[in-house]
Amino acid sequence: MKLIILFGGASFEHEISIVSAITLKEKLSGFDLTFIFCDQDHKFYLIDASMMRANTFSKAQHKKMPQLSITNGSFFQKNLFGTTQYGGSVLNLIHGADGEDGTIASVLDFFSIKYIGPRVDASIFSYDKRYTKYLCMAKKIKTLEYEVVSVKEHKNITTDYPMIIKPSRLGSSIGVSVVKDESELDYALDVAFEFDKYAIVEPFIDGVKEYNLAGFMADGEMHFSIVEEPQKNELLDFEKKYMDFSRSEQVLKADISLELENKLKNTFTKVYKDLFEGALIRCDFFVVEGEVYLNEINPIPGSMANYLFEDFKGSLEMLKNSLPTQKRAKVNYEYIHSISQAKGK
Amino acid sequence: MAIKSIQYNQHTFDISYEILNPQASVDIIILHGWLSNKELMKKSFAPYMDTFRHIYIDLPGFGKSTCSVALETKDYARIVELFMIHINASKDIILGHSFGGKVALLLDPKVLVLVGSSGIYIPKPFKIKAKIAIYKVFKIFGLAKLRSMFVAQDAKHLSEPMYQTFKNVVDEDLSDEFASYDGKALLCWGRDDTATPMSLALKIDELIKDSTLKIYDGDHYFFMNHSKEVSKEVENTFLKTLERK
Repeated sequence: MKLIILFGGASFEHEISIVSAITLKEKLSGFDLTFIFCDQDHKFYLIDASMMRANTFSKAQHKKMPQLSITNGSFFQKNLFGTTQYGGSVLNLIHGADGEDGTIASVLDFFSIKYIGPRVDASIFSYDKRYTKYLCMAKKIKTLEYEVVSVKEHKNITTDYPMIIKPSRLGSSIGVSVVKDESELDYALDVAFEFDKYAIVEPFIDGVKEYNLAGFMADGEMHFSIVEEPQKNELLDFEKKYMDFSRSEQVLKADISLELENKLKNTFTKVYKDLFEGALIRCDFFVVEGEVYLNEINPIPGSMANYLFEDFKGSLEMLKNSLPTQKRAKVNYEYIHSISQAKGK
Repeated sequence: MAIKSIQYNQHTFDISYEILNPQASVDIIILHGWLSNKELMKKSFAPYMDTFRHIYIDLPGFGKSTCSVALETKDYARIVELFMIHINASKDIILGHSFGGKVALLLDPKVLVLVGSSGIYIPKPFKIKAKIAIYKVFKIFGLAKLRSMFVAQDAKHLSEPMYQTFKNVVDEDLSDEFASYDGKALLCWGRDDTATPMSLALKIDELIKDSTLKIYDGDHYFFMNHSKEVSKEVENTFLKTLERK
C-alpha cells in the first residue's frame, strides 16, 4: 500500500512526531512509504527512508535533502527537467500544533490531497480541551468538572486539592502538573502558561481507573482496537510519554467486563460519529463508579496507537480506502451569465 | 519550565524559569551569562546541591524570556528582583556566570557566587579600538552594510534593543559595588578564561571584603566540567554563614 507519512511541524511535539514516524516506519514495513518532513519553518523535505533516524533532524541533515512544494493533488519536487510528483494519500502524523489544530488539515483539503487524520472541525474540538468540554456537553458525554484559568486574569480556583492543571491546547502530558496543595499552585500555573494562554483545572482523582481505546470508521462501520488500561505512576510524565510514542509492542487487553467494554465503545462512537471520519483516534477515558468519563481525544495518537491493534496494517489500509471526499462548490458562472444575457451584452 | 509575566517600566517581560527541589527551604538563584541561557546552567548544576531550591531564570532577551527594550544591568537586577517577589524567593544564594555575575552582585544576596563574572572594566586592546574607528569611517561613506565584519562576536545576530543593551552593559565598571558588598562571596574562575580573565578575579577578590577565590582548570565555561566541585564550595560557603550566627 502506498502512503505518504507527513511528520514534524512547528509544535512543542515536533520531536515526538519524529519518534512516531520512525516507529511507524518499522511497523509498516512492506508498505510503499514516502516520508515528508515539515520543519519548524514550514518547509517540506523529502526524507530518504534510510535516513529516518532521530539524528538526521537534530543535526539538520534534512536540509541537504530535496525540498518539496505543494500543489493540487500532490507534493512535488522541482528539478532540472521539470517536476517529480509525490501524490497519493497522506498520513498526517504531526502531533500538536499544525497537525492537530487544523492547519495541516486545511492545507491538504485546500490542495485536494487525501489524508488520514482529523478534518478541520474535528481538530478544533479535540485540540483545545475547552472545546472538547463543549463537545461533550453538546453530545451528552460525561467529563470531569473543570475550570478555565487564563494567564491574563487570575481568578480564585474553586476546585479542591489535589487538582490537575493542563495547558488548554497541548497533549502528551507536556506542561501538566498534579497540585497537592496551595504552595505548588503558582508554579504549576506558570508551567501550564508556558505553553498556552489558557489552562484547564480538574480534580485529580487518585487511583481512578483509566482506559484507552482507539478506533476509526471505515466502510460505514466503527472498528475498535482492544481496550488498554495504561500503567501509570500518578501521571505519565513527558519522558515516559515520549517512550510511549515509540511503542510498538502489542499490549494486553484490559481485564474488564463486556458491559464496561461496550460502554466505552458506545461513548467512543458518540465522540467519533459525524466529526472524526477519516481519522484514527484514541480516546482516553476515566471510569468512576461504573460511569465512563471522557478525559481527552487524541486525533493523531502517538505512533497511531499501533500497539492497540491486532492487525494494524490491515486497519490502516481499510481506513485509507474509505477516506471522506470533500464536497466542493462547482463554479459555472450561471449567475453572471444570466445577468449578462438579461442586459443583452 | 514555566513562564511568568513581569511588568517593569511600562513593559512586559515574559520570564521563563524552572524550579528544582521545590520543597527545599534555602533558595539558590542561578543566572546565566551573555548569550547563554538557563538550560546550560541547569545542565551543570541540577544534579547537585539538592538541599537548596534551585531557581533557574532566563534573563530578559535570552533563552525563552522576552525583551523588547534596551536595558541596563541595574534594570536586569530589578526585573529579577520583581520576579523573585512573585515566586516568593529569598536572596539566600545567587550564583551568576559572566554577565549574570554582575546582575547577582546588584541583587545583594547573602551569599554571592561569581563564576567567571564580568563587572570590572578592562580597556579594549588596540586591535578592537582600531576596528571601531575604521567602522565609524566606513559608516560615513555609507558602508554600514559591512557591519557584520566588524561587530563583536557577542553582539552578532542581536535584535536592535538587545544590541543597545549590549552596548549599555559591556563596558560597565562595578568596582564601587564590589567594594560595598558586605555579604559572603565565593569566586570561582577558570585559569585560562579569556573572556573574563584571571586578572578580573584577583581585582574582585581584593575589592570584596569577605571573599574566597577558587581556581579551576578551564576557560570561561570551566564550571561545566567542575560543577560538582563548585557546588561543594557553594554549600560550604553557605554553611559558614550559618556558623557565624
